[in-house]
Amino acid sequence: MEKIKGVGLGLRHRHFQEFIENKPDVSWLEVHTENFFSQHSTSSKYLAKIRQDYPISAHCVGLSLGSASVACPVREKHLQQIKKTIDWLQPSMVSDHLSWSASDGVHYLPDLLPIPYTEEAFEVVTKNINHVQDVLQRQILVENPSSYLSFNDSTILEWDFLAELSKTTGCGLLLDVNNIYVSAFNHNFDALAYLESLPVEAVKEIHLAGYSIDIIEGKEVYIDTHGQKVYDGVWQLYEKAIKRFGEVPTLIEWDTDVPELSVLLTEKEKAEAIIAKVLNEQVA
Amino acid sequence: MSKPIKPIKPIKPIQLSQPSQVTTLAQLQRNFISDCLSGKLRQDHNLLTKNIDSSIISAQGLMGIYQNSAIANITHSLILTYPVIEKLVGEAFFSAMCREYIFLTWPQSGNMDDYGVEFSEFLAEFEHAKHLIYLKDVARLEWAFHQSSLAEDAPITDWSTLAQASDILQLKFLVAPSLSLISSTFPIDKIWHLNQDNTPLDTEIEFADEQDNDTFIVLFRQQLKTVVLPITAGDFALLNAFDNGETFEKSIVIASAKQAGFSVDDSLKKFIELGIISGFVEGIATSS
Repeated sequence: MEKIKGVGLGLRHRHFQEFIENKPDVSWLEVHTENFFSQHSTSSKYLAKIRQDYPISAHCVGLSLGSASVACPVREKHLQQIKKTIDWLQPSMVSDHLSWSASDGVHYLPDLLPIPYTEEAFEVVTKNINHVQDVLQRQILVENPSSYLSFNDSTILEWDFLAELSKTTGCGLLLDVNNIYVSAFNHNFDALAYLESLPVEAVKEIHLAGYSIDIIEGKEVYIDTHGQKVYDGVWQLYEKAIKRFGEVPTLIEWDTDVPELSVLLTEKEKAEAIIAKVLNEQVA
Repeated sequence: MSKPIKPIKPIKPIQLSQPSQVTTLAQLQRNFISDCLSGKLRQDHNLLTKNIDSSIISAQGLMGIYQNSAIANITHSLILTYPVIEKLVGEAFFSAMCREYIFLTWPQSGNMDDYGVEFSEFLAEFEHAKHLIYLKDVARLEWAFHQSSLAEDAPITDWSTLAQASDILQLKFLVAPSLSLISSTFPIDKIWHLNQDNTPLDTEIEFADEQDNDTFIVLFRQQLKTVVLPITAGDFALLNAFDNGETFEKSIVIASAKQAGFSVDDSLKKFIELGIISGFVEGIATSS
């Protein structure tokens, strides 16, 4: 299992052939674990080939770590499918989100839904993370969400919630800088204060992506769509994140309207340039 | 469009709530799902209204973001499984159709590979697409293609041992796990091929509402490629009989009844070479 360093790309179907034939210069790749549940599938055969040349990180979207129904059969089945895929893929890192998708095992919303930041939710998420880490027999990283609404019942700040989760469960944190930027705009909090509240040693990976802007009832809302280049404001926040957390493995994510690989490679080079700049400044 | 980082401002104060007013997480999640699945969100019917900070945007507006996002994610999954249907009806119509389908059939798990099996039946009943009577069968073909791409590989067989079989007519031939058989009264294989990304745009196809001859198709996977191959009625019946576990003898009878002059030798050789027939087992004769 190779240790992941530098700037990686989210591996998407459109680029499978290019990675096999041209082996572009990318430090590592991240896949959505759920897309490889069948290890016999055509997609998995491509990944098996690509895996020979690139370290891989497994990013999950369906563990539903915020679900109140802890012993839910739907989620337990999903976890077993994740375990089977992880055992096959042997990724360097495994991650999912501080969110939920399944309720009572009846319906499943394929989205990253928000939780209220309460003591009850903290206990629930702690139990779920502990269970996942026990089953997978490894540390997982938990990603900060992007969100569009906040719950009246919340009594804990999101960044304190994450910091305490890391301390209590031993999970790492996946810092999505775009998500912080999006949520900071939507909820009018200070993105830098968020960064400065997270424990340095817990942050094991960073995500960068683009967002879109919607107008809802006459108000601007930033939506985490992963369908554009990284915005300047997010790059600025990323630079501050590298200053605080060091040279953390960083991923360029692009999930909708996936462009040619050259576009992603240019984004990767921008991230590499920021890391180099911060490191040079620190040496000087 | 990008904006600079906001200057540091005081963090939003924590809003302490009274324990008696707190909705349990389980109930809150049930309400969230219920609101999202309720179709048209209404301000006065949202179960979550009292739980959400709606000081800037209404609960209806905020829940709409999540509802639309979930629907977009599911629609994306349906586009991956049914790209030809999307091309045939157009992006906007497909999205609108998916929205109707999704509210009837929400995903039951996080494994989206399993989602969309009922889409062909939905298309047949969908009021605004009922006149496109071939859509249902094209969707059946696309679901079979999707399933084939997920199937296990066939085991490797030593065909030299076939000659040692004591009674070849009582053998049972095994088909590849990726095999699917589809028949239709429409030329769905041609429709499918003409709507692949590499098909020239100036290619045209003519087809009547009902063809003189039905279309028979076998789908199977060869390494990284799923193949869609038109076959004869006899070949279709033969493979179907193999798939149902019939003996070679009975399978020949079934195929010959479907196609006059059916040549089993040619078919068997072709399907073994293509990897559609993946092996054989010594069968036990059964009465019909």
